[in-house]
Amino acid sequence: MGSLLLLGVIVIWDTSRTELPALNMTISPKLFPLIIGWFLIALCAILAIQIIRGGTAVPEGLRAGDKIEKSDYKSFAFILLSFLSYIVLITRGGFVVASTVVFVGIAYSFGNRKFVKTLLIGLIFAVVTYFSFTRYLHVDLPAGILKGIL
Amino acid sequence: MDGFVSALSFTNLGFGLLGTFLGTLVGVLPGIGPALAIALLLPITYTVAPSSALIMFAAIYYGAMYGGSTTSILLNTPGESGSVMTALEGNQMARRGRAGAALATAAIGSFIAGSIATLILAFAAPEIADLAIKVGSADYVALMLVAFTTVGSLLGSSQIRGFISLAIGLVLGLVGADLQSGLTRLAFGNVSASEGIETVIVIVSIFALGEALYIASRFKDSGWTVISMKGKALMSREDVRRSWKPWLRGTAIGFPLGIIPAGGSEVPTFLSYSVEKKLSKHPEEFGKGAIEGVAGPEAANNANAAGALVPLLALGLPTSATAAVILVAFQTYQIEAGPMLFATNPDLIWTLIASLFIGNTLLLVMNLPLVRVWVQLLKIPRPYLFAGISCFALLGAYALNGSTFDLQVAIAIGIVGFLFRRFGMPITPLILGLILGPNLELQFRRALQISAGDYGTLIATPLSKILYISLILVLMAPTAIRLVKRSRAKTVK
Repeated sequence: MGSLLLLGVIVIWDTSRTELPALNMTISPKLFPLIIGWFLIALCAILAIQIIRGGTAVPEGLRAGDKIEKSDYKSFAFILLSFLSYIVLITRGGFVVASTVVFVGIAYSFGNRKFVKTLLIGLIFAVVTYFSFTRYLHVDLPAGILKGIL
Repeated sequence: MDGFVSALSFTNLGFGLLGTFLGTLVGVLPGIGPALAIALLLPITYTVAPSSALIMFAAIYYGAMYGGSTTSILLNTPGESGSVMTALEGNQMARRGRAGAALATAAIGSFIAGSIATLILAFAAPEIADLAIKVGSADYVALMLVAFTTVGSLLGSSQIRGFISLAIGLVLGLVGADLQSGLTRLAFGNVSASEGIETVIVIVSIFALGEALYIASRFKDSGWTVISMKGKALMSREDVRRSWKPWLRGTAIGFPLGIIPAGGSEVPTFLSYSVEKKLSKHPEEFGKGAIEGVAGPEAANNANAAGALVPLLALGLPTSATAAVILVAFQTYQIEAGPMLFATNPDLIWTLIASLFIGNTLLLVMNLPLVRVWVQLLKIPRPYLFAGISCFALLGAYALNGSTFDLQVAIAIGIVGFLFRRFGMPITPLILGLILGPNLELQFRRALQISAGDYGTLIATPLSKILYISLILVLMAPTAIRLVKRSRAKTVK
């Protein structure tokens, strides 16, 4: 049932978002967004009908009729937090710091509890990636606070 | 022949080898596919020559098809979507101690199908390109609409979810300044957003970040059990006798379905599987490890990858997520894939096609004797695997422009990817919508400009008429099949 409610939220989110092009229409460049907007609204309506008739969503990797367990939102939130920390850390701390933190964070969310080992692996991973990208692929990555060392 | 000379040059061979290696790697590891691997490597297009990069990308595409079969057979977790059918019979064979035979029939079948299909590609693509030069804007509009419809209807659990995915992709494609009028759309006053959403970021984050979020929230605790392999990856004479026909039939099914926009390898592998089940002399073995059920779909899978390159090269029209990413690579090189490609960049094309033959041979060598090495990869603990993948994805999103706005977009798209998986929506339509949407709009406007606003021009040519009719047929097919089934059920009663 939780899934049904969430789908409803997506539907509303879609609709409210696409009403914007519908409001300020004039001519040519507005035509396409308008078509897509109405297309989306129509799709949402059909989906709503299907759900009411019992055609609920089946999560990927499961088959129709399988018992749908509740999502583990604790792990979900933790991973999301790791992702968000990357935004802050990449500019403040540099690539190696940000990558190591995300690495450890995600490994933790997946149930890994060996912190020291994970930290080391993450650090090696980040340093190797840093050098292979900056030296061999000529992609600039911020060195950040480790500027003197790297 | 010049193509072979160029493809065998040290640099290109090196990139080809690297591509086959990476391709097998991403194919073997569940959760990451060729589309993601190529998207992550797109930054190299800034520093590497076009032919080398494209050779590598094509090799990744082929390689993933080989690698995916290994995972399906030994792990029962399809490494990529085209291997779902292989998992059915292949895993059963492995459980009965016939892993070696299953892996061999998959690899040899892939090799044969890949070689035949690449040969057809070499002959067919220039012919199609010749025809395609005559294709006008209105026809392109029709072609793209057909591509959207088939991809939307054929993938995923329901037609409606496919179309929703497509529509969201189209919306993402709208964001930013309109190329012709300069009008900024859906940017909500954000300067970074007005430059549009980078395709690469969407692809990388919807696959990698979305997958990490989804797996963590659902299948975190379900570990992997690799079935150990006894003996070598070899086939008995009996196995070969039972495999060669499915190989050829698989090729015959996979290649044409790659050319038409059927949305990747799910449909052809499924078709091949059901054909083999019907034609088999041992139908009772299906579901318990029938070798035909591995040989056919695996051949179809590889032939399909080659087939998908035909519309990509000849029309600039991708029919699968991976082909769509390769198209983005063309775009970053300012090379326009499509009918003119054979006239403007013949060297590139022939080098690419030659490298496909070479890559295919390399893959056979890498996959038969070295299969144990790949299996070792599956022993990487999942926390590290997903941590690494996510780090790469974030790196890819950031390195593109060095902007944190891109990272915000990436994380948001990652959440979308999670929701798509949670609610059973296919991802490929979104990617096609994102990449082809702006293109469709451009051709649509061009057609109407030429006709001075007369909508009749859209259905004026014979080709467009045929295409629209087939479009309606595709849309109606699922409903029609349901109706027929229902009426049959009634007559039986």
